[in-house]
Amino acid sequence: MSPDRETHPGLGVTIAAFAVIVFLQVPVIVVVLAAFSTTSYLTIPPQGLTLSWFGKVLSDPTYLSAIRMSLILAFGSTAISLALGVASAYALFRRSVPGSEAIISFLMAPLVLPAVVIGVALLQFYSLTGLRGSLIGLLLAHVVITVPYIVRSALASLSGLDLAVEEAARVLGATGFEAFRLVTLPLIRPGLVAGALFAFITSLDNVPVTIFLIGANQTTLPVLIFSSVEMGVDPSVAAISTLLIVATGIILLLAERRAGFHRFV
Amino acid sequence: MMSVRRGLMLIAPLALVLAAFFLVPVLMLLPTSFSEYMPGSGLAKGVWTLENYTRIVTDEYYREVVLRTLGLGLSVTLVCLVLGYPLAFLIARGPERWRLPLILLVIFPMMLNLVVRSFGWIALLANRGLVNNLLIQMGLISAPIKLMFNLTGLMIGMTHIYLPFMVLMLVAAIRNVPRDVEAAAATLGSSRLHVFTSVTLPLSAPGILAGSILVFVLTISALVTPRMLGGPTYRVMATLIYDEYMQLLDWPSGSALSFALTIMAIGIIWLSSRLTKRWAGMA
Amino acid sequence: MSALSFEQLGKSYGDVAVVNDISLTIREGEFVSLLGPSGCGKTTILRMVAGLVQPSRGRILIGSDDVTALPPNKRGLGLVFQSYALFPHLTVYENVAFGLRRRKVAGAGLDKRVKEALAMVRLADFGQRYPRQLSGGQQQRVAIARALAPRPRVLLFDEPLSNLDAQLRDEMQIELKRLQRGLGITTLFVTHDQGEALSMSDRVGVMAKGVMQQFATPEDIYHRPATGFVASFIGKPNRVSGIVVSRAGKGGVVRLGNAIELPAASLDQPAGTRVDIIIRQEAVRLLSDRSEPGGLQGTIALRSFSGSRVQYVVRLAGGVELVAETASHGPNAALAPETPVVLSVDADSVFTMPSEGAGA
Repeated sequence: MSPDRETHPGLGVTIAAFAVIVFLQVPVIVVVLAAFSTTSYLTIPPQGLTLSWFGKVLSDPTYLSAIRMSLILAFGSTAISLALGVASAYALFRRSVPGSEAIISFLMAPLVLPAVVIGVALLQFYSLTGLRGSLIGLLLAHVVITVPYIVRSALASLSGLDLAVEEAARVLGATGFEAFRLVTLPLIRPGLVAGALFAFITSLDNVPVTIFLIGANQTTLPVLIFSSVEMGVDPSVAAISTLLIVATGIILLLAERRAGFHRFV
Repeated sequence: MMSVRRGLMLIAPLALVLAAFFLVPVLMLLPTSFSEYMPGSGLAKGVWTLENYTRIVTDEYYREVVLRTLGLGLSVTLVCLVLGYPLAFLIARGPERWRLPLILLVIFPMMLNLVVRSFGWIALLANRGLVNNLLIQMGLISAPIKLMFNLTGLMIGMTHIYLPFMVLMLVAAIRNVPRDVEAAAATLGSSRLHVFTSVTLPLSAPGILAGSILVFVLTISALVTPRMLGGPTYRVMATLIYDEYMQLLDWPSGSALSFALTIMAIGIIWLSSRLTKRWAGMA
Repeated sequence: MSALSFEQLGKSYGDVAVVNDISLTIREGEFVSLLGPSGCGKTTILRMVAGLVQPSRGRILIGSDDVTALPPNKRGLGLVFQSYALFPHLTVYENVAFGLRRRKVAGAGLDKRVKEALAMVRLADFGQRYPRQLSGGQQQRVAIARALAPRPRVLLFDEPLSNLDAQLRDEMQIELKRLQRGLGITTLFVTHDQGEALSMSDRVGVMAKGVMQQFATPEDIYHRPATGFVASFIGKPNRVSGIVVSRAGKGGVVRLGNAIELPAASLDQPAGTRVDIIIRQEAVRLLSDRSEPGGLQGTIALRSFSGSRVQYVVRLAGGVELVAETASHGPNAALAPETPVVLSVDADSVFTMPSEGAGA
């Protein structure tokens, strides 16, 4: 008997835990199966297997333009958030400005407010300023909802850093920017990768802000799925969802391999 | 040491973006929420009213929606706690080699698109969905039971969506409980259950609170899942706000609801941080 | 010729002066230590020299150039940090090359100078390792090689040996000193360890509360401390509370406890002041002839052997205890407890400083 057997999970706990793990994966599995099913509603066993839904989705211009829009927003907002967020976090880390607690609270605030509230607030604001339906408006809205993740991960990575390392670079002849680029940035890169991934996925996932701001002939992938589900279950939704599931899985595994992603969650 | 000027220059771009595209728009909702709604023409000019707020409490339908939202938040939080604790305990205290795969299996659904996950539950819970099909095939029921557009559907879907957040918070909390304190309790003759209830559970209480607050706030703020699984008729606050803006075009009422929801979310977070500080003070 | 000098150099945070207008000149090739307890301002001075802290007052000159307003990267200095501050994501080779690359040294010249620097610290074969793969002592030497490679005008050390264990620290002291002598490089070394400061330096500056107490050779610091603080900080002092009884010229008489009176050659306080009296353990002599005049009668309370030396705690009249140190061989090397002895204290070795127990 191991000396600290008392604090190990017993059989009951283990079984319950695995049941919960299965519960977490069920809708994912169902979506994937539905994508290959010939019937519009999935049955067990499936009536027949087909790849036609994938073909349908990937040749549908509505889906293709929605995917394109989603990717533009996700890449664009992540890049902008990275630049703005890392700059702010770095200044806060170097304690160059007073009131850093209050500033951090302000930068993290979009995470606390219900997304739908940000959505309607921007809807009214964009209607007044004529930004509704514009790409720049959407992009900045996505920056607002993604930047807290970047700030958070950048601050967390920086807090583990020895300030002397950057000072050493300075004394050795590096300018302030060189010291940041050659020393600080490489050291906080894993945390930034994780933060950027969160930001990317948050943007790619977003409905409650985006849906209020898109114009008549625009849509993003999640908004498209969201609205087409109101019309009933369509296997092409399952097909596009399956593509998203596979992409997410690959990105997650890569991030885990490259940056030890789970440590940053 | 970085100069104040350079620091401000680094923070300014983000602060300006957030001021212009977050702070100002949210503050601009405030006058709207005190305006009177004129069907057809929008806002009545120069008329200020509290009615949009009082209606949330006095109107029977609004009150029902608010209570439903809070009830849903509470029940989803409790279910997440009950389902999440064993899993978190296994991840934190189980065999080392299981840890990473289990954590990844928790993170994976969390990273997955919200719309996709909700869609998965529609495929399962709809009248012609997998669960009803299965039950009919097995002869357990003759007509489909209603699993969507009601509390059941929302509970299942929301629990699934927010369970990973709870599990991750709990894992961190349980891992912070010092093993030697548990071992000490065990050597003093406590049973396994007693060690858990008298040591592990109280010492992971701050994490339990943090996870619960997070899940509660996320649940009451959620729009996508309640809309997809609750449909246009079974409403919570977020979906009601959505309809006020998109279908009824009653912005004053929608913005008042928005502030009500915001105050609820921030209030809960504020309360919990007070509570946590008090705990820390006692320790 | 002066290599590094401060003119009225001072630093304040708000109303608190952490460095109080210090002027000092360090000669070319000289090894100077700043010694003092933590918070005395020595590290702040070093950081002002490096350009990491902006002085509130005064000037810093390297050679004849005023560098007070220059950023750290324009000063051409080398700095070895207490934490080493190696770049963890770069190999040892790239760590050492970092400063050279900033000075646009490239190609064969770069390679030659990196290898030279690594050979100097006897790490020629470690270029491809990462800092985390090295021991503490090796990391320390990489930090030194990195600071030396760009051939700085002045080399700065911030408590560089405090993270090493005792034996390694002694080895590094000798190695550092040899390196510094060999290169003839002007060095400013900050430490709280008097042994380090005394053994390595040409001159030592002892600091307390932002004020330079004494700047002199190690011998002067040790044998002729300028203030009571220096006397109490250097060597192994006895510290006994007492009072200044009378003054005569520069010196006077002090009383330890309520019975023992001793002449002191130099006193700062007027008669009647409560003071702490500082007497080095090495300055308290055990007399073999117990009838010698001026001796203090006492008994051995405790004996403690530490290799080459022996310490005795001697109880004197009125319960005052003094520690006397002597060689661990010879006539007084093995006195048993309760043995009566006579102590003698030189008037030159009695110092006073403001009483710490008496309050402000």
